Amino acid sequence: MAEAATPMPRRAGERRWLAAILFPALSVALFLAAWEVLVSALGVPLWLLPKPSDFLARVVSDFALIAGHALATSRTLLLGFLLGVAIAVPLSLAIVSVRALERGLFPVIVFLNIMPKTIIGPIIIVWFGIGPLVSVIIVFLMCFFPVLVDSMSGFRAVDPRLYYLTRSMGASPLQTFRYVRVPASMRYIFAGMKIGLVKAVEGVIIAEFIASSAGIGYLIMQASSFMDMTLMFSGLVVTAVIALVFNALLLGTERLLMPWANAER
Amino acid sequence: MSKAESGPQSKQARGASITGRGVTKVFGSGPGAHHALGPIDLAVAEGEFVSLIGPSGCGKSTAMLLVAGLEPVTEGSIEVDGKALTAPITEVGIVFQDHLLLEFRTAIDNVMLQQQIRRLDKRQLRARADELFGKLGLTGAERRYPWQLSGGMRQRVSIARALVHEPSMLLMDEPFGALDAITRTQIRHDLEMLWLETRKTVLFITHSIEEAVGLSDRVLVMSNGPGTIVDEIAIELPRPRPAHLGDYPEFAHYAQRIYSTFEKLGVYRFK
Repeated sequence: MAEAATPMPRRAGERRWLAAILFPALSVALFLAAWEVLVSALGVPLWLLPKPSDFLARVVSDFALIAGHALATSRTLLLGFLLGVAIAVPLSLAIVSVRALERGLFPVIVFLNIMPKTIIGPIIIVWFGIGPLVSVIIVFLMCFFPVLVDSMSGFRAVDPRLYYLTRSMGASPLQTFRYVRVPASMRYIFAGMKIGLVKAVEGVIIAEFIASSAGIGYLIMQASSFMDMTLMFSGLVVTAVIALVFNALLLGTERLLMPWANAER
Repeated sequence: MSKAESGPQSKQARGASITGRGVTKVFGSGPGAHHALGPIDLAVAEGEFVSLIGPSGCGKSTAMLLVAGLEPVTEGSIEVDGKALTAPITEVGIVFQDHLLLEFRTAIDNVMLQQQIRRLDKRQLRARADELFGKLGLTGAERRYPWQLSGGMRQRVSIARALVHEPSMLLMDEPFGALDAITRTQIRHDLEMLWLETRKTVLFITHSIEEAVGLSDRVLVMSNGPGTIVDEIAIELPRPRPAHLGDYPEFAHYAQRIYSTFEKLGVYRFK
């Protein structure tokens, strides 16, 4: 055991880096190259399906415009996501701890979650008018539930006999919370946040389609009304990049807060 | 000795005494109630190593929780060092069958949880933890996470966690139950050596005759659930005891006595 474990980390780390970045980047590049070649060879017109070189060049030529909208989308995404996490995590602890909340409140939340969130959009527009707030609320609703449910499993995941141990150490409830419950539930909370983030990105674009004057979703709608296919595809690519950046930030935070999950298995 | 007794360490250096009278535990109430244990009388002297041996479901694990003050007795009373139990005792180290280590802490940090929660001196406890790691053959494993350790090593870390704060009492609930026979024999010896050095009071719950006889000053034999104590055997074997207990003719005698008690109780039904 001791012999096998020591030389492992570095090589495994390098392999992980290859698997996480290089190989996916290569396969995406290959896919785009095939697209480029096929569209050129078959002579598909620009208004039907632009080539990767077209819409990638557009990201460069219209950088100021696209970056501005990307920034607006990122801001909305960040705000809605943080709001969702900030409310879902404490609420999940309350639901797990208080029986009455689990019986009374949780079914209501489940019912609300079954409803597709985006259809509340028009109602929110009536309440708050067209603006970034509507998108923030929709993003919040999209990521709230996955974070809530996974945090609940996390706070429940502690072996009850561990509480015997902490009580025999004379731990206060706060100490048990800090030293046992929070770190034990972290893995679950991050799992919820990863699912929540995917939903949040979907939510932010749809919200910007229906109720905004800025953001990538708004940009795509504008481009659509002018039949500007290239710009629409640029929006698509930029959205993917935003999602990737947020995901990387989330993974980075996870590594920082959960060094144990990072150790070699 | 008299000087040591006046210091704050003296109480820790000494083992605690345990006295239980008519201890009974019933879980729940009404028709669904489950009578898990007792009534049993229990007397463990300061620094004594006592095993409770009995079949599954006899309530021996419950007995340990009651002595720790982690579950209230339904009837009867328990005194530790002459004081009636009203709350969980903290002058104690507990080892369960599952190691119950925190997966997000390294081996050494699992042990140092005692220091953090009890707010003890960090340097002193770390030195004590290092010493225990040395004695338990864990040196080099400090920075490993529980899943990077073998089952035996995990249980050793769990023992170190139970001893690092120098409690007056060690409660162990089938601590070697999940280990293989070879590991079990080694860890039994290592525990005995640690105990010989410190002479904490130990209440050891087991269903293994070899462990009970191999470790204890006294073995209390329990009946089927709700368990009562049906036999008490003083083990008069020299210490430290060998890996192969069969070397002693007395071992066969003690084992025979426990087997025949279990046969009489119908724990064993050999044809």
